Amino acid sequence: MKLRLWPYLFSQAVINIMNNRLVHLIGLGTMVISLLIFGIFLLLFVNLSAWIEGWGSSLTISVYLEDGIGDHARNSVASFIKRLPDAELKRFVSKEKALSDLRNTLGPQAGLLEGLSRNPLPASFEVLFKEVGGKDSDPRKIKEQLEKFKGVDEVQYSEEWVNRFKDLMKIVRLVGLIIGGLLFMGVLFIVTNTIKLTIYSRKDEIEILKLVGATDWFVKIPYMLEGIIQGIFSGVLALLTLFLAYFFISKEKAYFFSFALLDFSFLPYEYSLAIFLLSVFLGLVGSLIAVDRFFDI
Amino acid sequence: MIQLFRLSKSFGPSTALSDLTMRVHKGEFVFVSGPSGAGKTTLLRLIFGSEKPTSGHILINGINLSRINRSKLDLLRRSVGFVFQDFKLLPAKTVFENVALALQVIGYRRTFVRKRTHQCLKLVGLAEKEKAFPLQLSGGEQQRVAIARAIVKNPLILLADEPTGNLDPDLTEDIMVLFKTINMKGATVIIATHSRELLKGGAQRTISLIRGRIVGER
Repeated sequence: MKLRLWPYLFSQAVINIMNNRLVHLIGLGTMVISLLIFGIFLLLFVNLSAWIEGWGSSLTISVYLEDGIGDHARNSVASFIKRLPDAELKRFVSKEKALSDLRNTLGPQAGLLEGLSRNPLPASFEVLFKEVGGKDSDPRKIKEQLEKFKGVDEVQYSEEWVNRFKDLMKIVRLVGLIIGGLLFMGVLFIVTNTIKLTIYSRKDEIEILKLVGATDWFVKIPYMLEGIIQGIFSGVLALLTLFLAYFFISKEKAYFFSFALLDFSFLPYEYSLAIFLLSVFLGLVGSLIAVDRFFDI
Repeated sequence: MIQLFRLSKSFGPSTALSDLTMRVHKGEFVFVSGPSGAGKTTLLRLIFGSEKPTSGHILINGINLSRINRSKLDLLRRSVGFVFQDFKLLPAKTVFENVALALQVIGYRRTFVRKRTHQCLKLVGLAEKEKAFPLQLSGGEQQRVAIARAIVKNPLILLADEPTGNLDPDLTEDIMVLFKTINMKGATVIIATHSRELLKGGAQRTISLIRGRIVGER
């Protein structure tokens, strides 16, 4: 293709878009909606994965202490916990605090506790482990070590939850891959077919260009450029809409969701870039596939 | 030179051309006449390469159209001008843009395209309407735009399908003079027509077709 033809081909692409505004708007709308659905899925998937990972990889161990434990014994348990890798001594819950927490939890039924002659709840340490599963943070081993301390009555953690965490993540990723894959195929199908329809409405133009001696690429390039331009606009609009929706929801989430305290973050940079590039790719490939159908002239 | 050997073309069960053999020499001016449905348009489309024959061969300057690929056919078409019966103008482009298109696809420089397009529009008497769109023109004017587009690239072969069908007698004469001038410059001209008026005056070779067969030649 001669270099001096490129400005002409590019101007043709822009003129074609302007001359077929309505058709392009329909195509643009379809692409934006399709990409938006895919983007919403990605946004939910990324956040869901992060939440589950956050919950699963952190483990709280409760170290229940015997009644009447001395300060010395209590301090030695606390300093052992502080030395553990990835451990954070979240708080010490005294017997009184434990009872008052229980009273708050029971609410109107708190009167049941009035009949108690003594406080039956033990004092405890709450220990938070991040990145559980490593060699140095095996919950079973830590439990055994803590139980050997004088004054420690019992150590509790949800072993089942830890063991199932990785299986759960595997399932989430697999389901995400399947749904994401299906959505991707759907977007590809819808976008290429919409572009096909927009080009179908201009098949006479392709025929005439071929009849006056235009080479295949002379005809194809303006359509490909149109596809790329449409892809760029669709990608930007879809991401912008997605970001605005995210911004609105994350600002107002306290009113919408009970899990308001959870972190709800936007798509990472690479995912946004991937959606944008996907949009450009779809515009280009969709145009190319569609225009090829009308070349038997 | 254009050579056709035992050329046949069918569309499903109906036969448009049957066992046609003919030869048109370089620089010749030929009329193809016959009633509607005789196969005139099909013959021109086969020579242009926009239809493929069911059997037989077409050779343009020794190149067999059945044996060349699409890109070579595109290049060959650059030396062939075609005036279509239904004009085939792009409605969203102006008269000027429609005519200039035939030069732009070849890759001529912008200044040459502009100059040559103006010249041709002047030749067909449409210099004043170059900014109009095809649908704003009469049938005769649209036909002249189609003629301008066909001759703008100085084709070696000019094929015209009923080129004067929408023109009044004065304009018909002007256009025929134009075709003859192009022919005098060396182009091979083949005109398909059913107009007896057009055939009356000339001493040109005329091939008569009826139901896809050559029935006479003078």
